[in-house]
Amino acid sequence: MDREAEFGRLYEAHRAAVHSYFIGKTGDRQLAADLMQEVFLRAWQHLDKVAGLPDDGERGWLFTVARNLSVDTARHQRTADGTQRALESEPSARQDSAVPPASTAVLAAERAGVVAAAIATLPEQQRVTLAMAAAGDMNSAEIGAALGVPAGTVRYRLSLARRTLAEALGDYDDAQEEEQ
Amino acid sequence: MSLNDDLAAWAATVRLPDAGAAAIFRQIIASPAELAPASGPAAPPAAAAPKLKPSWWRGYNAGFAARMVTSTAPVRLAA
Repeated sequence: MDREAEFGRLYEAHRAAVHSYFIGKTGDRQLAADLMQEVFLRAWQHLDKVAGLPDDGERGWLFTVARNLSVDTARHQRTADGTQRALESEPSARQDSAVPPASTAVLAAERAGVVAAAIATLPEQQRVTLAMAAAGDMNSAEIGAALGVPAGTVRYRLSLARRTLAEALGDYDDAQEEEQ
Repeated sequence: MSLNDDLAAWAATVRLPDAGAAAIFRQIIASPAELAPASGPAAPPAAAAPKLKPSWWRGYNAGFAARMVTSTAPVRLAA
């Protein structure tokens, strides 16, 4: 197998997992894509070393790079978050509280917003685990191997995350019923 | 709508589209495949020199020794 084909196999096997990990970490699809690109660029530059590893080893190598990158990114994001909070506190940046006309599409978008907001409030470990399960289509054993934690811990985090989301959506549904 | 449906809907909004993934793949493979060594670019190989026969070197060394003796003789005389 030539170099490009070998890299293509590695990329297709692991890109969704790595991207979903960064979704959980950052909550931003574009930033997650940029970070995923950086991980695979390093894999491309060290392909002779990475591609020779067994499947678990490949994923382990990629996630070691991903974790290191996310540490650096978190430092930058803390600064950016502080700036964003300052901007949001300005009166001109506040959102209009007027209720848009209710339609199916609007309600679906609103509900999606509630889900995204609830996920954003989860503790990071739960958020990352949930993102890898939902967006990465990974099972508990795969997530555990990638994050270096037992599968039981992954299942526990998923359970906590789902409970929090169910409560948030339950509150939203109750509010909707009261409005009607 | 169940929680699983909500999560699936959310996942669809954050998942990387195939077109985006393919574009990233193309960008990566267009970049240099190997890192340059940390010490800088490799030195060019030394130019190959034609080899001389051992007999030439023996004659050269003998001549060199004779010239050294001859050239230092005036110094010894002066001392």
